[in-house]
Amino acid sequence: MTSFSRRSICRALATVPLLSATLVSRALAQASQGRNPQAERFVQAQAQRILTVLADKRLSESDKRRAFRQAIDEVVDVPRVTGFVLGKYSRAILPGQRQAFAVAFRDYAEGVYQSRLGDYHGETLKVVGSLVRKPGDVVVNTTIIGGKISAPLQVGWRVIAAADGWRVIDVQVKGVWLAITQQQDFVSTIDNAGGDVGVLTAQLQRDAVRGDRR
Amino acid sequence: MRLSTPTRRRGRSPLFAVPTLATAVLLLSSGLVKAQTPAVEPQTPEALIAGPPATSDPWERLNRQTYALNASLDRAVFAPITHGYRRAAPTPVQRGLSSLVSNFREPRTVLNGLVQGRPGLAGRSAGRFVVNSTAGLFGLIDVATPLGLEAGQADFGQTLGRYGIGPGPYLIIPVLGPHNVRDAIGRVVDTMTDPVGLALGGLGTTFGISRLVASGLDYRVKADAALVALDDATDPYATMRSAYGQYTAGLVREASGDREELPDFDDPASPN
Repeated sequence: MTSFSRRSICRALATVPLLSATLVSRALAQASQGRNPQAERFVQAQAQRILTVLADKRLSESDKRRAFRQAIDEVVDVPRVTGFVLGKYSRAILPGQRQAFAVAFRDYAEGVYQSRLGDYHGETLKVVGSLVRKPGDVVVNTTIIGGKISAPLQVGWRVIAAADGWRVIDVQVKGVWLAITQQQDFVSTIDNAGGDVGVLTAQLQRDAVRGDRR
Repeated sequence: MRLSTPTRRRGRSPLFAVPTLATAVLLLSSGLVKAQTPAVEPQTPEALIAGPPATSDPWERLNRQTYALNASLDRAVFAPITHGYRRAAPTPVQRGLSSLVSNFREPRTVLNGLVQGRPGLAGRSAGRFVVNSTAGLFGLIDVATPLGLEAGQADFGQTLGRYGIGPGPYLIIPVLGPHNVRDAIGRVVDTMTDPVGLALGGLGTTFGISRLVASGLDYRVKADAALVALDDATDPYATMRSAYGQYTAGLVREASGDREELPDFDDPASPN
């Protein structure tokens, strides 16, 4: 091997660490642009908090209900979700109708929880990554294990930055977004009622009463 | 399948009962389980506002009638069988049956994985089939997953979607439940090209019929929680249609690597 070729090889080898460092730092920069650690911390803490509240066998049913309601108020952007699930009817609805719907929706939602107190058995949640869709709009990917879940459950949490912190606006399991599904459920119900939002509201009110009785 | 009637039942909101309903929605599509590709950032602001396309349902009237028929059939036949099986069969037996059914699907995943240009998925599924069919006693025990060969899933409907074929109209098939035209065609092709069926016998054989019964039972067991949750929708038909459309779109994105579009929550009219 000539001295020239040895020098070339040495120069080439010398560039490897530099090149590697450059590529690694670029990759890290790209990764950090794609993830949002704050949103991830929010989901890790608050989603786990809800799971823990639901599985806490020391709490009475009424205490659990109260703790859950408080957690939901602090974690979920309820007003935004309430508007979203009305879909195309959200724009046309009168203020009085909106208020009535919001109350009915809230009661109805709590009916869900009340009937399923026994479904939680100490599941734990772990954040596995996140993706910034745009500033202040992040999907945090998590895995839920334990409890009665036989295989790890992948759950995505769409969170947005509100004035007072992060808030959940939707949850995804196996490609299915729950608020989007809820919206299409509600909109179909209103469509079938000739566009009368009051029919949906009345239905939710009846369901809420039924939920209380369960 | 036990399905709710198309008329409304008790109303419940998914978002406020995330863990339970998350599991339930997952199970709605059970038997087709595969980790969801993480959402990716859309390229344009318009993509954010556009939202997921609503499922095309030009045959809604007929579909709702078929849905009602399936619901009745489920209440009368499939739900009682399912619940009896769940009560009577020990958990290891149920898991064994589920593993066996899944193992028979691996060759189909290998084929479709190759056609989709996903050699990793195809190789993993091939490895799972070999390992589970031997060390796992013909697939009764899933010994591949602990070895790092995690389960994947691919079918011909997904393959068509991977190459740009749209879902087509929504279609509820008697007994079989929700489909779209693309996936219904895919189902036929998968059945005709199924290596296990070709090797061991199709529906004209005892093996084929036994396999069909086992697959149906396993599917119905996995779907049970989801169908209970479906009862709680204000319009169960619309809820199933939405969940099915999103789920199949997710499977296609998984194969194609396409970006997911999500609605802007400040423009709630967008998804409809």
